[in-house]
Amino acid sequence: MLITKLKSSNELDEFFSKKLFVFKCFGCSEVYFPEEEINNFASGKQEKISGIAQIDYLCNEDFAKRYIEKNVDRIHNCEGIIVFSCGVGVQVVARLLENKAVYPGCNTFYLNGFQGLTVLECDCGQCGQCYLNHTGGICPITSCAKGLLNGPCGGAKNKKCEVHPEVDCGWISIYERLKKINEGSTLKKKGVLIRNFEKIIKGI
Amino acid sequence: MIDYTKYQIKAEEELRQLLDSVSDILVLWCKKCYKTFEKEEESECEKILKILDVSDKLKGCEAIDFLCNRYLTEKKISSLFGSGYGIGVISCGLGIQTVSKIAESKGVKVFALADTKPQSGNATSIRGYHGITLGTEKCAGCGQCYLGITGGFCPVVDCAKSLINGPCGGAKDGKCEVNSEKACVWVEIFKRMQKQERNLDVISQIRDNNVFTFEENRKISTFSLSRRTENFYGGLHPYENKHITENLAIEKFPASKYLYIFLLQHTGSPASLCVKEGEIVKLGQKIGESSGLISIPVHSPVSGKVVTIEEKFHPALLINCPAVVIQNDFQEEKDSSIKGYPEWELMQSDDLTEIIREKGIAGLGGAMFPTHVKLRKPKNPVDTLIINGCECEPYLNADNRLMIERAEQIFEGIKIARKILSVDNVIIGIEDNKSQAIEQMKKLTERESWIELKELKTKYPQGAEKMLIKTTTGRQVPEGGLPLDVGVVVLNVGTVFAIYQAIVNGMPLIKRVITISGLFEKPGNFEISIGTPLKDILDYCGGGKINDKESYCLRMGGPMMGIIQTEFDTAVIKGTTGYTLININPIDVSEENICIKCGRCVDVCPMELYPLYYAYYGKNQLWDKCAEYKVKNCIECGCCEYVCSSKISIVSLIKKAKKNAYNKT
Amino acid sequence: MEKKNLSQKLKEGKFVITSEIGPPKGTNIEPHLKEAEHIKDEVDAFNVTDLQSSVMRLGSLATCRLLVERELEPVFQITCRDRNRLALQSDLLSAYVLGVKNVLCLTGDHTTLGDHPDAKPVFDLDSVSLLKVATELMNGKDMKGNELDGKPEFFLGAVVSPGYEPLELQIIKMEKKIEAGARFFQTQAVYDLLSFEKFMKAVEKYNVPILGGIVLLKSAGMAKYMNEKVAGVTVPEKYIKMMAAAKKEERAKVSVQIAAELIKGMKGLCQGIHIMPLGWEKYVPDVLEASRI
Repeated sequence: MLITKLKSSNELDEFFSKKLFVFKCFGCSEVYFPEEEINNFASGKQEKISGIAQIDYLCNEDFAKRYIEKNVDRIHNCEGIIVFSCGVGVQVVARLLENKAVYPGCNTFYLNGFQGLTVLECDCGQCGQCYLNHTGGICPITSCAKGLLNGPCGGAKNKKCEVHPEVDCGWISIYERLKKINEGSTLKKKGVLIRNFEKIIKGI
Repeated sequence: MIDYTKYQIKAEEELRQLLDSVSDILVLWCKKCYKTFEKEEESECEKILKILDVSDKLKGCEAIDFLCNRYLTEKKISSLFGSGYGIGVISCGLGIQTVSKIAESKGVKVFALADTKPQSGNATSIRGYHGITLGTEKCAGCGQCYLGITGGFCPVVDCAKSLINGPCGGAKDGKCEVNSEKACVWVEIFKRMQKQERNLDVISQIRDNNVFTFEENRKISTFSLSRRTENFYGGLHPYENKHITENLAIEKFPASKYLYIFLLQHTGSPASLCVKEGEIVKLGQKIGESSGLISIPVHSPVSGKVVTIEEKFHPALLINCPAVVIQNDFQEEKDSSIKGYPEWELMQSDDLTEIIREKGIAGLGGAMFPTHVKLRKPKNPVDTLIINGCECEPYLNADNRLMIERAEQIFEGIKIARKILSVDNVIIGIEDNKSQAIEQMKKLTERESWIELKELKTKYPQGAEKMLIKTTTGRQVPEGGLPLDVGVVVLNVGTVFAIYQAIVNGMPLIKRVITISGLFEKPGNFEISIGTPLKDILDYCGGGKINDKESYCLRMGGPMMGIIQTEFDTAVIKGTTGYTLININPIDVSEENICIKCGRCVDVCPMELYPLYYAYYGKNQLWDKCAEYKVKNCIECGCCEYVCSSKISIVSLIKKAKKNAYNKT
Repeated sequence: MEKKNLSQKLKEGKFVITSEIGPPKGTNIEPHLKEAEHIKDEVDAFNVTDLQSSVMRLGSLATCRLLVERELEPVFQITCRDRNRLALQSDLLSAYVLGVKNVLCLTGDHTTLGDHPDAKPVFDLDSVSLLKVATELMNGKDMKGNELDGKPEFFLGAVVSPGYEPLELQIIKMEKKIEAGARFFQTQAVYDLLSFEKFMKAVEKYNVPILGGIVLLKSAGMAKYMNEKVAGVTVPEKYIKMMAAAKKEERAKVSVQIAAELIKGMKGLCQGIHIMPLGWEKYVPDVLEASRI
C-alpha cells in the first residue's frame, strides 16, 4: 500500500518560487503520513501560501471536485498548486485543475499489502500468475529479494537473506513450511517456472 | 467506478490439474474489496463448480470478508482445520498467504485457486496502486515523484517503458506502441504542459531503484502494524488537540439565572417529579425521585424557585423531555439533607451504596448508568475495580484536570468504592498523554500495594470499558456481556470524585467538570452546575461561530462520540463531558454514499465488527441483516465513520439499526 | 593432436583445474591476461566473472574472447542480474560465435550489494531458467519456440554451495539445474573436507562432475569475515589460528599450504577444483605446485 514522505527542502523550495495553494490529504494518516513535517514546512512558507485545504481521501475525485467547486475563487487566483498526498492524489488534482501547474509535495513509497489501513506481514507482487501452490503459500516474488521462482540463490547465511541480513531467506521459509505441511516433495517436482510479464499488461 | 477486485479464478486447465490431486477440499473465498458495494457478492465456489464438476470433492464453502486480515480471519477459520480436508482459497495472494500461514501450524495444505490481478498494467513497473477510491489514477510508489515536471501524469506507471526523460519513438498517432488503445502518456504530458504554457524541460533523470531502503520500510511497517493491535485490536489515533485546554485550571463557571434540570439524566427510567411549580427549593434539594430499580433522583443545583416544568430539548436524546426550570436566587442556601460521613470507613457497604443512589450519582464518562446499580452486591464475584482515567476522546480534559487538581479526593473516592465492592485489586488506567495527571495520581498510589497505576498507550477508544478491561487485565468481556462477567467493575474518575462528594461531604451530584474546547474564543475547564443552559456557555465562552451552521458544528462531548447539537435551548446534564466546536468537514457525510469495500472500517473497529454491512444493509433498511452482523455489540465509538473513505454516516445507520432490529413490537 | 577441452577432460576423468579472472574496473585487461598465460599449462580453463559482487567492470564476454584469442579456454560466467531474457539469449548466441562454449549460469548477486545500489535489478530469469533457455538454444529454438538459424553448442555449468543450510534445499535446486541442462558444477569455497565428502556422497547419484571451490585465505580477519558474512562458508578454527599465527610476510605461504592441503584432500572426492584467487593470482602456481602428489 502507498505511504508518503516529504520531498527534500531543495525540491520544495524550487516549487515555492511562486505562490502556491496547498492541498493536504488526511486519508491514510492512520497508517503513516508526514503530517508534522508538512505542517512545520508550511509554517515556514506562510507568505508563499495562498491557501490551505485539508481533505480526507484526496484521491477520491468526487471529494476533491466538491471542494474545488466550493472554493473556486480561492484556488483559481493562485499561481500554482502543491499537493501533499500520494501520487494518486496529485494526479487527481492535476486532472481536475489541468490549467494549473500542480506539484507533488511528497514522494510515495509502498509497504506490504494492497491499499488499506493495515500494513500486512506478507505482500503480493501483483504478478497475475499465483505461484503459491508451488511454495506452500509463501510468495517467492515478494519474500525473495531477487524474486526467484525455482529455488534459492546461494546467498543465504544462517538462513538470512544476503540482501537484508535481518530477514529470513524466503526460500528457506518456503522449504520449512512445505516440510511442516508434509509437502516437501513439491520442491522436487519437475519443471521450470518462468514468469510471463505479458500477463501484467494484458491483465491475466 | 472501476471494479478493482484483486483476484480472478485460475484458468480451467490449471484448476483441473490442481483439483485432480486433491480428494476432499473446503473452499474459502474472499468477499472482495475495492468495488462498489451495491449487491451481495455471488459465491465464487459456485463459479468453480460451473467451470469444473468437483461437487463430490467440495466439502464446504465459506465466505470471509477481508481474508488478508489475519487477526480476524484466524478467529473465523481455525475451527475449519479439524476435518483433515485440504483448504482451497479464492482470493488475492495476500489472502492465500494469510490462510497458509494460519494453516501451517495445523499441517494443512492450502491450494491457491485464484490469481491476483496485476494492477499497474505495466511490465516495467509491475507495482501499481489505485487510491482509496475506484478512480483511474495509479501510483507505483517509486519514491521519487516526477509529477511536478510531467504536468501531473505519471510516466512511471503510464508509460509502458516507464521512461522519465521523454517519449520513445514508438507512439503512432499519439497511441502507445504496446497498446494502441492507450494514449502515449508522453504525448499527454506534452499537451497538458502546452496548455499550462510550461516548458517540457526534461532534465535527464535517472531513477534510484533503492531510494526507499528496506530498513526504513521495515521501520514504518513495524510502527504501523504494532499500533493496530497495541492494547486492543483496531482503534485510531485521531488529532488529540488536548493542548487547547490541558493546562487551564478548573474554573468555577458563573452561576446562571435560570437552570433546566431534566428529569431523565441517566440510563433507565426518568425520575418522578417531587416539587411543584412555584415551590422554593434549596441547593441540593431533591426535585425528582427515583422511579424504579434503574433510576436515580435529581437535585436542585441552586437555591431558588421552581418557575415551571416544561419540555426542553434533551442534548443526548435529541427530543423534547420534561425539565424543571429553576430561577436562581444566588443565596446558595443548602438543603438540610446535605450531611457528610467522613467516618465512612465504619459504615456498611449497603448503606454507602444507598447514599450513592440517593445522591443521584450516574456514570460521568458520558454513559450515565446509575452507579449504585454497579456497586450493589453483584451476582458474579468481583475481584478487580478499574478506575477509568483514560479520557481518550480528543479535545476533552475534564477528567485530566480533575486528576491533576483533585487527586486526593479521587483517591478517597476510590477507597470508598473499593470498600463497597470489597475487592483487593484496584487498577487505575491513564493514557500516556496525561503526564501531569499520572504524576499526581502516582504520588498517592505508589505507597499502596492494593492499587496499581497503569500508563496506557494513547489510542482511541482506550477509555471504552471493554477495551480498558482488555488492556489492563487481559480479560475479554464476552460478546454481549458486561464487565461483571469477567469479575470487573469500571468507574470513571469523575464518578469516583462524585462518590467522594456524596459520601464525605453529603453533596448530591449537582455539579461536574466539563471541557469547553475547539473553536470557542474562551476555551477552558469549568466546574459547572448541572442544568446550566447551553446559551450561557456559548455567551461566556464565545461560541458565536455556531450560528454559521454551514461551517461549524457543535458537539456535546468530543469530536468522536460527541452528540451533534442542532438546538441550543438545552442544558448541561450529568453526562455532559464538555462541548467541542469544530469546523464542518469540507466533504459531506451522508447515509446515501456508496461503500467501496475499502475495508478500513473493519481494520479499526475495536469490537471486531464489520461496519460496512451496517452501511449497506442500513441503507437498504434490512435491519435483521444488521442484527446478523451483531450490530448490538457496537459501542458507537465512531472509528468506522472517522476512517470511512466514502464518508458514510455509519453511526447514525447503526443507531437506526439497533432501534429497528431489536425494538420490534 | 588437437588440444582437449574442459568437457572432454572431464569426460575422460582427468582431475581438472580451473581458475578465475576478475576483469578490471576499466580497460586495463592486459595484466590479467598475462597472469593467465603464465599459468596456462597448469590450468585447464579460466572462469571470467560477470560483474562480480555487482560491481561495474569490464565485460565477461569480451574478456572470454580475448582468452580464446590467446588459446586459453574460458568459462563464461553469465548472471541474470543485469539482462532480461532477450539479452541473455542474445549474449549466449554471441558467446558461441565468439568461440566461447563453456557457460556458467548464475543468478547473480543483488544490485544493492555492489557499487551501483540504485540500479534496477532485473532478475527476469534465474539460474535454473537460464540453463533451460541455454539448453533450448542448443536444440535450435529460442525460449518461445522460434527456430534458430544456426544453433549453438555449449558446455553448461552451474554452481552449488556444499556448506549451505539447509543442504537439502541446495541439492533440490542442484537437481533442477541438472534437469535444466547443467553438465558440471563449481562449488562455493570449501574448507571442511569432512562435510564436503558428505556432500559429495549425497550428490554422487547425479553423476555430474563437480569442481571443488578453493579460495585463498589472505588473513585470519578475512576468514572470520567470511564465517560471519559469506553464505555457505565456514573456515575451521584451525586454519584461522594458522593464519593468525603467521607473520605478515609468511601469510601467503601459509595460505598456499592450506589450499594445497585442501586440494590434496579433494583429489579423491571430486572431479576437479576451481580456484578463486581473488587478487592473489600470482600464488596460483605455488598452490598447484604444493598440491602435486
